Amino acid sequence: MTASRSELLAHLEARARQIRRHVVRIAGMSDCHTGGSLSIADMLAALYFHVLRVDPANPTWADRDHFILSKGHCVPALAAALAMRGFFSEDELVRHLELDSLVPGHACARVTPGIDVSTGSLGHGLSIGVGVALGVRIDRAPSRVFVLLGDGELQEGSNWEAAMAAAHHKLDGLIAIVDRNMYQTGPTEQMMALEPLADKWAAFGWSVRAIDGHDIGQIVDTLDALPFEAGKPSAIIARTVKGHGVSLSTHHHMDRFSEEQMLAALAELAAP
Amino acid sequence: MAKPFGDILLELAREDPRICGVSCDCWGFLGPLHGEFPHRAIEVGIAEQNLIGVAAGLAVRGKTPFALGMNPFVTMRCFEQIRTDLGYGCRNVKVIGAYGGGVMYGGWGCTHHAMEEIGLMRLIPTMTVVMPADGFECEQAVRAAAATEGPFYIALAGGELPLSVPEEQREFALGRAAVLRGGQDVALLATGPAVREALRAGELLAERGVSARVLSMHTVKPIDREAVLSAARTGLIVTLEEHTVIGGLGGAVAETLAEAGAGTPLRRLGLQDVFACMVGSYEDVKQRFGITAQALVDTVVAELG
Repeated sequence: MTASRSELLAHLEARARQIRRHVVRIAGMSDCHTGGSLSIADMLAALYFHVLRVDPANPTWADRDHFILSKGHCVPALAAALAMRGFFSEDELVRHLELDSLVPGHACARVTPGIDVSTGSLGHGLSIGVGVALGVRIDRAPSRVFVLLGDGELQEGSNWEAAMAAAHHKLDGLIAIVDRNMYQTGPTEQMMALEPLADKWAAFGWSVRAIDGHDIGQIVDTLDALPFEAGKPSAIIARTVKGHGVSLSTHHHMDRFSEEQMLAALAELAAP
Repeated sequence: MAKPFGDILLELAREDPRICGVSCDCWGFLGPLHGEFPHRAIEVGIAEQNLIGVAAGLAVRGKTPFALGMNPFVTMRCFEQIRTDLGYGCRNVKVIGAYGGGVMYGGWGCTHHAMEEIGLMRLIPTMTVVMPADGFECEQAVRAAAATEGPFYIALAGGELPLSVPEEQREFALGRAAVLRGGQDVALLATGPAVREALRAGELLAERGVSARVLSMHTVKPIDREAVLSAARTGLIVTLEEHTVIGGLGGAVAETLAEAGAGTPLRRLGLQDVFACMVGSYEDVKQRFGITAQALVDTVVAELG
């Protein structure tokens, strides 16, 4: 590993830890979708601090990269990344769900600076991503479009309409990242099995890679290799653990931490 | 002769680079646009949910997409996408019910009747709902939608049926009912293809010495309150629509009258909380379910005595 690469990975790991610490503090103040927020923290760190071309001073910059959080209930982690990236003050994060806060319960473009698309109802983000990518093509802009999906969310049929259209229109600037944390309100494979998931995406015409969604090195290498194939949209199936980094939240959908629990979780997330 | 929608869209696209078209198996309508601007005409296949999501995404990039599908399916299958991605999302998308409005599919089955399209679209905050009566109103509505920010639903169906009123005597303003016939005894308020029946009823009533005002309520939302309250100064209001009377034009007019405290009698013609389930033609369905000029005449005669 070169010095610059190890520095980059250490930097991104620290960012991911910081996102998780924010999520834990939010869960110490209010109900919070901890599990899914913690499982996407490493990918959000790599996206917002290495990959995405965004400008907090000009959120609607025409050449920006687009990020759509289709699993909109995990907005605590996204809000943390956006605040850390400079879109608004990190002090705002613990005001999650408070009156007129910038941090809502589900991603809302009207409320949070840096969020382009309002989500919360599952199965909407990928279609919108297809439209954004088609708009980018009309504009001949350099922008790429990243859509982060939950795995349980893929049970919504609308995703597969979008997957079909993305491949049909050869949208190689569109990237779907699946947070494969294996849990919805219960174990996903027991409730409605998705496997063989990579084969499904490939059959729909996508170029697919499966990675460890908590290995920053793998995440960076994979995102740096986009598009995987010219003329095809790219799908990344990121194997993750719901609640990763906080033992108390393992496989949890929501948490509300006591002061003691919050401090224990923060201690777990202390810098190595 | 009404100008085809595809030609109107191409003219608009030449003037405004934001205009684009997305089709849910309605590719024929986008032919002219695709010929000149291939990237701005997009087919998504038979997939209404994706149609609306794709249109919302194009609007994220500052485009003004016209999203086309068949009326019953493009208002029902993807209702949540329209409500959430376009309404809540504040997207400048024009949803076009391209064919199969009202009960136009007649005896081909209730699956193909768009008898909830007005009600559903009217429920969504910020949504403008336009039901043109004919080709003239269609073209005007499409141009007005392109020029007005915000989500629209326009039902093109009926656009191929020219009304008996000459175009030079017609006017169109978004949100303003069009007075197609003056009259003081009774007001007939219709929308979409039902306007033709209302005009015919106006003629039939005149033969009986009843002076009927006939309005095309092309913009059902926002409703033209002034026109409704002016109609309330006649002795009777009758609404007519190829739609369930619950939540449609009749519902909108009833709300307006009640809130204004107008005591004018109101009768609502359309589907009376039933599916128009039968085998037969479009005309047969309208006949059996009372969406005709004759039904209007009979109602007026019964009410006015």
